[in-house]
Amino acid sequence: MMLWTMLWIALPFLVGFSIYLLPQSDRPWGRVLDHRMFALVVTLVSMAYAMVLFGQPAPLSWHLLDNFGVTLVADSLSAFFILTNALVTAAVILYCWHSGKTTFFYTQAIVLHGSVNAAFICADLISLYVALEVIGIATFLLIAYPRSDGQGPASRGHRSLWVALRYLFVSNTAMLFYLMGAALVYQTRQSFAFEALEGAPIEALALLLLGLLTKGGIFISGLWLPLTHSESETPVSALMSGVVVKAGVFPLVRLALMLEDIDPIVRVFGAGTALLGVAYAMFEKDTKRMLAFHTVSQMGFVLAAPEVGGFYALTHGLVKAALFLSAGALPSRSFKTLHEQPIPTPIWIALVIASFSISGFPLLSGFGAKVLTMKNLLPWQVIAMNVAALGTAISFAKFIFLPHAPATTQATKPGFWPAVLLLLAGLVVANVAYYDAYSLANIVKPLAIIALGWLVYRLIIQRLVVKLPQVLEEFEHLIGVMSVMLMVLFGMVLA
Amino acid sequence: MLYACVYATILLGFFGILLKENLVMKIIAMDVMSTGVIALFVLVAAKGGVYTPILAPRTAGNYADPVPQAVILTAIVIGFSIQALMLVAVMKLARDNPTLETRAIEQEYRP
Repeated sequence: MMLWTMLWIALPFLVGFSIYLLPQSDRPWGRVLDHRMFALVVTLVSMAYAMVLFGQPAPLSWHLLDNFGVTLVADSLSAFFILTNALVTAAVILYCWHSGKTTFFYTQAIVLHGSVNAAFICADLISLYVALEVIGIATFLLIAYPRSDGQGPASRGHRSLWVALRYLFVSNTAMLFYLMGAALVYQTRQSFAFEALEGAPIEALALLLLGLLTKGGIFISGLWLPLTHSESETPVSALMSGVVVKAGVFPLVRLALMLEDIDPIVRVFGAGTALLGVAYAMFEKDTKRMLAFHTVSQMGFVLAAPEVGGFYALTHGLVKAALFLSAGALPSRSFKTLHEQPIPTPIWIALVIASFSISGFPLLSGFGAKVLTMKNLLPWQVIAMNVAALGTAISFAKFIFLPHAPATTQATKPGFWPAVLLLLAGLVVANVAYYDAYSLANIVKPLAIIALGWLVYRLIIQRLVVKLPQVLEEFEHLIGVMSVMLMVLFGMVLA
Repeated sequence: MLYACVYATILLGFFGILLKENLVMKIIAMDVMSTGVIALFVLVAAKGGVYTPILAPRTAGNYADPVPQAVILTAIVIGFSIQALMLVAVMKLARDNPTLETRAIEQEYRP
């Protein structure tokens, strides 16, 4: 198994860099075996690896090169995250199949896939640091990609460049704090493994958590996320919201499960970010920004119950990627415009299925994930998370109540349907993973929440025009918020 | 004393990122901050002694810890590649925004 793991980790990087060198051939075999096909194969391998991991009876762990080397841990939690990564990347590659994207795009996508995989399996601070930084660079290049294709107005290209630069800057500053924390852990415990955090000094914990919270888009330190996710291209948004933020969330879940001191902190931030994100999402008038704020909120659900975070992350990844891809196929980004002009029915159906799943409607895997999360909450979290679930239902009523009409022209890209069908099928299939959820009480509660959410939406939210201030999303405030968060974390760890 | 200097470097770098208006200055401030973090690793490594861990009769015992040094080497490489990437992006941005003031850029590209 160890050999297979090594091969699986190395494969995306090997393929990613070699497809860039591959000559483009017009011969029949060249048309089949091109960069897209290789990229897709890599995601299939990851899928197979995740399935094998699910079948393992006990968690696997390896210490490479004595106790100073890299530590890897692979268990069912990693398997859920790896499966999410594989499915979302595969969907994005299918979506881009006919879009004429250059090899550069696929190289970055696959390198990103590989580094996210690495983040999901490593169990020491430094490997995690390296994985997160590679993720940062690959994401930067993907966001800035429209700049290099020479199409579209120059200002749009420069705008994506600014969005990318802003992302890299925030993430790198956060990672510097993280690195400081890692140094302090080593100073006291002479080890970089996650276990060494037990008994590490409090300032080290606060610094490490700050880095991870910022990278994972949690609470106010995650306010870089809405602009970054909404201003990127559709497939890149799907990739980022679907898997990239989870690379920051996964270590938090892992640490919360390993260390008792961290568990309450992670749960508090989970509840806080769930409410904050959903509050913004309810009043947002732009589809992609609404979805991005919703990612901030849903990461809270993953963190609120770390024991079952893996399953929630899987369903969220599938749903959010499907929603971003569908929102990209809509004629406009503003809900107001969409209300005036009907959208094609097929796209509406895809949107509704995804919205139902994320609101926790039975028969889709969002239902099982929500029930499971609600079961594993601590008593003080229950009210906050139920309010957040209600907010989810309210904000997704915006998609469900859009007017629709039969499609007159072929409006979607050719790669759209394979990608969305893959994601939606994943939602239905993942539903069987937790079929114990189907009891009467469990079914009635989400239905009541959804009904209440729709009622609130029809009666209040739809008529309300509230413009929440975006001042905290400005670049300087993003950096400033880090120092505030550091103080808050310091106080929390001390308590 | 040395620790105080290292922390001061990190803090100064951070305040530079926060307070400088110009994007290039911000990037340089980030470099200062990352220099501070690197120095912290070197200092942590030197806790047990400052000698290179090569077996020699005179320095027995006072070896520097090679692990943090090896680790920070990776971080230095990553850090400088990110700096290079950022500077390239700033060069491209400078075509539209010659002053490179963050606030002005932010306003221009606001959705």
